[in-house]
Amino acid sequence: MSGPTDSGGAAPQRRTLWQAIVDDHGPGRLVLWIPLVFMVVFFLIPLALTLVWSVFERTMFWMEPGFTLAAYQDFFGSGRIDSFLGSVKSAAVTVGVAFVLGFPIAVFVRRSVPAHAQHQAVLLFILPFMISEVIRLFALRPVLGRNGIVNDLLMSIGVVDEPVSALLFTPTSVVIGEVLSFLPFMVFCGFLAMEAVPDYVFELCDDIGSGLAVTLRRVIIPLAAPGIVAAAIFIFVNSLGLFLVPDLLGGPGAANAGTLVVNAIAALDFPLAMAIAAIMVAMMVVLLLIGHWLFDLTKLLEPFR
Amino acid sequence: MKQMDFNRRLFLQGLAATAGGVAAAGIAPAKAAGPTIRLWSAPIMRPFPTWEPFEQQAGITIAWSPKSASADEALSKMMVGDGKKLYDAFTDNGGGMEDAMAENGVIAELDTSRMKNWGLLRDEVRDPNGAAAHSIRYNDKIFAVPYIANADSLAYNKTVLGQDYDSWAPLFDPEFKGKVAMQNDFGPTMTVTAIYLHESGQMNIKDRSNMTKDEVQGVAEYLIEKKKGGQFRTFWNGFQQGVDLLASGEVVMMSCWEPIQRVAAGKASQDIVYGTMKEGHQVWNNVVMLTKDAAKRGVDEAFYKLADTCLSPWYTTRQLSRFGFASLTTGMVDYLEAHPADFNVADLKATLKSKEQRYAVKGNAWQNVYPKELRAYQEWWSRVQAA
Repeated sequence: MSGPTDSGGAAPQRRTLWQAIVDDHGPGRLVLWIPLVFMVVFFLIPLALTLVWSVFERTMFWMEPGFTLAAYQDFFGSGRIDSFLGSVKSAAVTVGVAFVLGFPIAVFVRRSVPAHAQHQAVLLFILPFMISEVIRLFALRPVLGRNGIVNDLLMSIGVVDEPVSALLFTPTSVVIGEVLSFLPFMVFCGFLAMEAVPDYVFELCDDIGSGLAVTLRRVIIPLAAPGIVAAAIFIFVNSLGLFLVPDLLGGPGAANAGTLVVNAIAALDFPLAMAIAAIMVAMMVVLLLIGHWLFDLTKLLEPFR
Repeated sequence: MKQMDFNRRLFLQGLAATAGGVAAAGIAPAKAAGPTIRLWSAPIMRPFPTWEPFEQQAGITIAWSPKSASADEALSKMMVGDGKKLYDAFTDNGGGMEDAMAENGVIAELDTSRMKNWGLLRDEVRDPNGAAAHSIRYNDKIFAVPYIANADSLAYNKTVLGQDYDSWAPLFDPEFKGKVAMQNDFGPTMTVTAIYLHESGQMNIKDRSNMTKDEVQGVAEYLIEKKKGGQFRTFWNGFQQGVDLLASGEVVMMSCWEPIQRVAAGKASQDIVYGTMKEGHQVWNNVVMLTKDAAKRGVDEAFYKLADTCLSPWYTTRQLSRFGFASLTTGMVDYLEAHPADFNVADLKATLKSKEQRYAVKGNAWQNVYPKELRAYQEWWSRVQAA
């Protein structure tokens, strides 16, 4: 009752069927095409449509085929470009802060945490992601607000006499929100890049007595550059698009590129939404090309040689 | 062997119990008798924890899908998407939305004789020449039924400020710099600013609900100047954010929806008041509409029952009690007085009275979802946001 049943000829038959499926010429080979088809249908075609629709004529509720650069004019000729450039600035600051805070963590974990515990240590940075983005950002408001925890603390230790209002609903709070959202990516990518650096490199640096600053500047950062650049681009592009941050933490009417797209859709200006999306994609492609040209991003996935 | 039998028996028992449970659950909703209507509406349409009281009152069954308050959602779903097939009735802002829907053949013209409570509607909407007549009509034909309404005003924290206000002026007064907020939406915010600027004699704006390009520019430039001077703490987005701003003391006054003021006052346990502004308010209604497809399928019977219930004092008083929303109908006071056990009558009568005061202000302007110069509104709002 408990042993395997003697299935006679059935088993070899199944194997044959399975073999037929996975055979080089069998239908199984088509499986490899699924990701490709998926990417074409759900990524490349929509991306192409974004470009096409961005030059369509806007109608009251939708759009009709045609060619006009009106949407691009709307973007560059209104307050939108200022909001966009403002969000570029705060995204750049976010990348800088994330690097200063996140990269040392990656170096520390790689150098000072025992090898068997390194991955666990890095995994700790996933924990904040278990909480929804909205809740994480919303929870910042009672912390940073006029009557918030930070102000209470500053006032009780006598650093300030009256609450600092610059902590919330300002570009500062937008950067804080963005760093909170994206810091783990700097840690992950930095760690990934550092993992490829063998221990003897650190030992060599110690042996020749190079100080921490010199080691960091001349050895560690150059070796980890592909990881840092990949994280920087990821953080930058996502900071531009994550409209929740300016929505919840920004000043009056604060907008990033994501907000601009959402607002355009809310106003049923689909060509404008598409144009802003197209500009963002173009920006990302240019950044990736520059990053790749300077630091060869494929190195990120290669073991150290 | 025995153990296996036992397991199998237990398993079958469990299966039967589960099946019974499922069947019971399946039968349960059927106790609300009557035809089913697939309703796509904002959650504020339901002043109850569930739809059951409404279903029993109306004699219909409601298959409900929640809808956001943003106008673009209805337009894209109903005109571009498959909303007409998915829903029989849906809600949105009056004063523009019903025009767009009727013009594009989404919604059906209504026969008002099929709603016995239609006569309760106030003259301003029922009369074809009333101030709000346009908010339910397209080409002079009726396409929508109003279910909630209000005149939006200024909420201020009397506990902190120690006095009452009857003007929008303090919202723009440097005395309260950095301690006030407005809504992050060009419609209400620009309309309210236009009402204030016009009535205080700082600008001459012919139609505050439908401004010309130059007027839009003037209002936006005023907001930009104020924003650059640090007047606004922030612009609020959505209900919860609004409540949070007022209740936490982050702002001391704010232009907002009445439910925000009510919830914030309760949350902060402070005297946060919804004032009457002498310059005027943006007045609006939300409407429920019947899709043409549903009318053809014969769901119109259920729709009229639903709409009629929305017009009844049974519903309007419960909306008032739960969310503080007004209705464009009469008969609420009589109903409240006849049902003292169900309501805090004195409190609700006071709320109604303050609404009447707001409605009576001459400078009020009706909400207009699609002003003629919509693009100018958008362009200039983007400049306000970027300033």
